[in-house]
Amino acid sequence: MTLLKAKPANVVVFGAGATGARIVRMLSASPNVNHVEVRDPDSTRLREIINSCDDSVTAGRGLRVPETTDAAVVASPPGTQAAAAHAAISAGAAVVTTSSDIGETRDLLAMDQFAIRKKVGLVVGAGFMPGLTCLLARAGSTELDLVDEIHVAKAGTGGPACARQHHRALSSLSVDWRDGRWMRRPGGSGRELCWFPEPVAGRDCYRGALSDALLLVPAFAGIERVTARLAATRRDRLTAPLPMMRRPHPEGGVGAIRVELRGRCGIERHVVVLGAQARPAEGAAIVAAATALHLINRGFVEGASGLASIRDFKDLLSDISDRGLRPCRFEGFIAS
Amino acid sequence: MAAGFVALIRRTIVAVVVGMAVAAVLRVRGRGGVPPQTGGWRELRDDEFE
Repeated sequence: MTLLKAKPANVVVFGAGATGARIVRMLSASPNVNHVEVRDPDSTRLREIINSCDDSVTAGRGLRVPETTDAAVVASPPGTQAAAAHAAISAGAAVVTTSSDIGETRDLLAMDQFAIRKKVGLVVGAGFMPGLTCLLARAGSTELDLVDEIHVAKAGTGGPACARQHHRALSSLSVDWRDGRWMRRPGGSGRELCWFPEPVAGRDCYRGALSDALLLVPAFAGIERVTARLAATRRDRLTAPLPMMRRPHPEGGVGAIRVELRGRCGIERHVVVLGAQARPAEGAAIVAAATALHLINRGFVEGASGLASIRDFKDLLSDISDRGLRPCRFEGFIAS
Repeated sequence: MAAGFVALIRRTIVAVVVGMAVAAVLRVRGRGGVPPQTGGWRELRDDEFE
């Protein structure tokens, strides 16, 4: 484990969208952060953030990360995160990424040896889902002696980049883990009614190109099934193969996540259902910022992994809860 | 002979189109399960993280 230096840290944030802007504000408000440099190709958005924060936040350009950087948070659109993470690791900075793109998640996990050589931690998928889902899966697993299955689902989208990713995910192949091997199935198939925390409640969810299984399977040795689904309307499914018909909203409404763990406790089979509700961009920002501060304050195991692999998950979950993203538990149903 | 072949092609096309229409309706309609009849969500307490 590598601990970062004790003095206030210098952080670079890539992306100033709905999630990135919130991350910048949360980090700049922390006494453990000395300076936040934010980068985004949209100069107008960049100026808005700089003007809304104090002098500890400045604007930067390009991908090159200064060697004085302690941590980098990558909240740029999917497809651009691997290059930014590589640049940050090259500079010896710990990295937190938020991508849910399958190809990019694979690229980031493949940087494991590079991160170990550079003696830094690379947290892959530290958002609402993946991210909080991975943490809740880890937390829920402590209630079971053996975890057989993990099924995660999400409803809602954050900023425009998240909405585009949601649209693409529904028309792309999903990656599920079943009986010890990867299975690819069409996005938009496998309808299942998932019950989310209020006010989202019941939503039909479908398979999609989501990266959760790639992050959960390495963290749970011997697991039999891992699936990920996302909520979609009939219109979403019909228009999924087409280009987006209209520009996405600046930010979606309230969303939610749900994690269902099935396993054994002694000789009995048990089901644990955990979840959370928030605006997805806000939820992702809380998880990413709390993870970055966790890296700065407590260090992280060198190499690339998701939040399900974190050892002291309780501290991080507690910090996330203190920031207003409170996990919930579904209670009252009969365990099978 | 030729007329019979054309009729066969036409029926095949009609069958495929009707099949696609039924598949589209089945895909869009319906629900994915039954909502829970009991239970509900509650926020986790701080001591449940420890």
